[in-house]
Amino acid sequence: MKRSPWLMLAPYVFGLVALVLVPFAVTVVLAFTEYDLINPPVWVGWANFTELFDDPIFRMALGNSLWFAAIAVPLRLLIALGLALLLHRRSWFVGSARTAAALPAAVPEIAYGLLWLWLFNPVHGPINQLLAGPSALLGRTPPAWLTLPNDARAGIIIMSLFTVGEMFVILVAARQALPRDVYELAAIEDATGWDIFRRITLPLMAPALGLLLVRDTIMSFQLSFTPALVVTNGGPPPYATTYLSLFVYRNAFEYLRYGFAAAATLVMLALTVVAVLLQVRLLRRARL
Amino acid sequence: MTRKLIAALAVLALLGGCSTGTAGANEPVKLMVFGSPDELAAYRTLMQAYKDKTGKSVQLVEASDRKDLITRLSTSIAGGEPPDLFLMNYRFYGQFAAKNALEPLADRLTASSVIKAGDYYPVAMEAFQWQGRQLCLPQNVSSLVVYYNKTLFAKYGVPEPKPGWTWTDFLGTALLLTRDAAGNPVRTSGESEGAPAKASVYGVGIEPSIIRLAPFAWSNGGEILDSEQKPTRFTLDSPAALEALKNLVDLRLAYGVTPTDQEVEAEADEARFANWRLGMLLSSRRSTTALRKVKDFEWDVAALPVYKKPAGILHSDAYCMTKGSKNKDAAWRFIEYAMSAEGQKMFTATGRTVPSHIEASKSDAFLDGKTPKNAQVFLDGIPTIRRVPTISTWPEIEDVTYGILENAMFRGDRLDTVIADIDKQTRPIFARAQQ
Amino acid sequence: MAGITLTDVHAAHGVNGVSLSVGEDELLTVLGPSGAGKTTLLRLIAGLAPVTRGTIHIGGRDVTALRPGLRNVSMVFQSYALFPHLSVADNIAFGLIVKDVPRAVIRERVAAAAASVGCEQLLARKPSQLSGGERQRVALARALVREPDVFLLDEPMSNLDIELRVETRAEIKALHQRAGGTMVHVTHDQTEALVLGDRVAVMRDGAIEQIGSPEEIWRQPATTFVARFVGSPAMNLLPGDGPVRPRDLFPEPGWLIGFRAEAVLLGHTGDPLGTVTRVDVVGEDSYVYLSVSGSPVVARVRTSEKPRIGAAIRVGVRREDVHLFDAATGRRT
Repeated sequence: MKRSPWLMLAPYVFGLVALVLVPFAVTVVLAFTEYDLINPPVWVGWANFTELFDDPIFRMALGNSLWFAAIAVPLRLLIALGLALLLHRRSWFVGSARTAAALPAAVPEIAYGLLWLWLFNPVHGPINQLLAGPSALLGRTPPAWLTLPNDARAGIIIMSLFTVGEMFVILVAARQALPRDVYELAAIEDATGWDIFRRITLPLMAPALGLLLVRDTIMSFQLSFTPALVVTNGGPPPYATTYLSLFVYRNAFEYLRYGFAAAATLVMLALTVVAVLLQVRLLRRARL
Repeated sequence: MTRKLIAALAVLALLGGCSTGTAGANEPVKLMVFGSPDELAAYRTLMQAYKDKTGKSVQLVEASDRKDLITRLSTSIAGGEPPDLFLMNYRFYGQFAAKNALEPLADRLTASSVIKAGDYYPVAMEAFQWQGRQLCLPQNVSSLVVYYNKTLFAKYGVPEPKPGWTWTDFLGTALLLTRDAAGNPVRTSGESEGAPAKASVYGVGIEPSIIRLAPFAWSNGGEILDSEQKPTRFTLDSPAALEALKNLVDLRLAYGVTPTDQEVEAEADEARFANWRLGMLLSSRRSTTALRKVKDFEWDVAALPVYKKPAGILHSDAYCMTKGSKNKDAAWRFIEYAMSAEGQKMFTATGRTVPSHIEASKSDAFLDGKTPKNAQVFLDGIPTIRRVPTISTWPEIEDVTYGILENAMFRGDRLDTVIADIDKQTRPIFARAQQ
Repeated sequence: MAGITLTDVHAAHGVNGVSLSVGEDELLTVLGPSGAGKTTLLRLIAGLAPVTRGTIHIGGRDVTALRPGLRNVSMVFQSYALFPHLSVADNIAFGLIVKDVPRAVIRERVAAAAASVGCEQLLARKPSQLSGGERQRVALARALVREPDVFLLDEPMSNLDIELRVETRAEIKALHQRAGGTMVHVTHDQTEALVLGDRVAVMRDGAIEQIGSPEEIWRQPATTFVARFVGSPAMNLLPGDGPVRPRDLFPEPGWLIGFRAEAVLLGHTGDPLGTVTRVDVVGEDSYVYLSVSGSPVVARVRTSEKPRIGAAIRVGVRREDVHLFDAATGRRT
């Protein structure tokens, strides 16, 4: 029996249209309106965008998001890669170590946030109790994760570093798929670990790494949302951890400014697209 | 911390796909509220009483916190399936009132044979009048009071607050209560020499928010806004308001009688109070249910300290009916019951509220002799209570000012910059409310 | 210079007490069925697998505990193990690059190695743009470029089609004669082993059955295993007191007599009768499968003289064409 490919694709296409394209189109239209979820939207042209760029909170949120992506994404990739290279072999402890590396990503985001809220507690939290000794030796106070802007930003990034489980699993699989004899050949040629990493492992894993880089950049705008909502509540003031996603959420659902939030969402999307295009170009050039 | 936890769990539930189902004439009336488990239990008690009396059931729709309630309410209104009723503070109902999402209750109130407008404290009723019409009906009326740990006062020989006490008395009391681990008075900030000492008990817990500042500014004869009805800007630069603001931030900056920001993040004030680490706590009636669980010390409430004249700030939540409700008559009957003397007495017995019903508030149901013994303080303050304006963008105003005031109190930002920042950032938000 | 000596080498994956030595400039082929431990033996020499007992010397130096990089060997893998992301030139140069050899020297030596296997025109390409034969040449060039003491070749021709295999076989032989060096070449193809090897080691179950010149392996198989594994079709092996034996041979009980298909005499009176069960025509010659009193015997005849299936033919063998083995040990007596 011959089935039309369109028929086979139908469920996916339907989902794509209903869950992605239509909401996207609606967001684009709403960005040019004032809409409070209660009364019908009113067309306001570019007003939302003009207001956005005059809004200091939006500018801070934008800056926060860009910094977050610029620091968290490479670090996450590096950590996932490091763990994958450490743990791709079979060994007695590797099974449990792999589970440990992958597990945080499996914890529901909110529960994960609450856990860190406790970990970061400035007085009773285990992190600062551990850091109290070393900090005192250095003549410093332990980081104020919840009350100092940069410490809080670092905290949100640290939180994101432990959820690389999915990347880790992909990279372990990518590493295990590399041919063994290539490494044996390198051993016979007496290549050093660094040479092997630089000349063999890295280039062979580059496609997987490139894909993850692009994907994680896209995800980074969402990645910071729950931690900022649950742990720092967008603070410490002024808006140290108010990322674009939280900005959008607040305006849409707390201040009922859906149109304004839609405009911010569009800016966020545009930035993501630019970042992804830049990376794709870079990766392509690197391959030539 | 607890509130964050509840909020987070509720979001989890939301993501888990819990839906509220569809409403219809035969469905139970849905009432959306948020609150701690104690508060939610109080609502269930009321609903059970209503069911026992009328055979009609009311369904409680629980939100995790105020912001979650706004989110869920607005999305359910947009989705065409709003709850019939919700309970909301007058500071936050403005955005729904302005957007015409509420069913005015004025006509029903006039026609009612069960309740009448004159039975309630006018200050609370007025807070829920929008463009001259009664939109929602206030369930409670609380002022800001000082909760204090009597046992701790006795332990350190600190005199208890007296009616009419001044800000200076208040500060002195707080200083006497601020103690180190050995129980000696300690200065954790200000002019103390060397590294700031660590306090294990602080004098007072007060959050650096505009609604905590407002009653003191008023008491000092000042105003916080240029207009009560149509505010366009904050007037914190007026001498009276500025003095109140300076005194407020000095509690931490100059005298160190309030916990530091780190300590507040580590342990919320209410928990700190319950754990003997705070001598006084500024809060509304709201804290009573939680504190009644405290068994190892005695506590009571006192009136706010006074600058020039007594002033308080209104805390009041009201039953509001959504315009999109499909069950308005049934919803109204529940409001009538909840607002009646009987319903108010029943609800106040849970400890959660000061009834807005005048007779109920003066009855044994409220003045029941339970802690706090000085419950009369709540009623005595009502005549001098004022309120912040009910404008549609007030939630944003509170969020924006809170961050700036936090930095003033904990980071020691210069007050002229603080005031300028508040002014600059809130003007556009006030302007948006006028549109 | 080089030469390899293995003394009673044991390893986890099926090498049980191998002792052998390969002379300088000698090409040893290791022949055996799959699972015999040939590749493992190669990997032990390279240092890719650990020796559990015994010693390995290369050029008189005990390398048993040395890591692969210090043994100065090079290896051509069955898969060729080319780096897919590097050009042919960089693939060949890899061993020199990681040793920080100056660029000019690298360029020169890569060109020379490429020329010696005839792949100089491929230097700029990526492995994915090469044919199987070209890849094999690149792998060979990469093995040559470092001028190691020992070349190890793990079935380098198993991925080539038959025509190319014959050609390459000759080239490797010529290359070895030209370049010299100790070479160990593992294969399961007996023709390749016999044609290439100065000596051939036949392996079975992790041990060496016989090691000797190709002629010795062919003419004097040391065991019944070698006798049957080398040669096609396999040597006839019958009980000593079986139906087919030379008339002047009176074997002791428990012997086996073996003889190749070409040694079988057909149609001599006095020999026992066999029935033709199958005839395979292979060009000029044909193989005739017979059943003699239930024992299978294969004989080679000229195709023009092949019998028809079902015919009854007398089957005999001469004394001088017979190998005698002890049935209990499988060894030559």
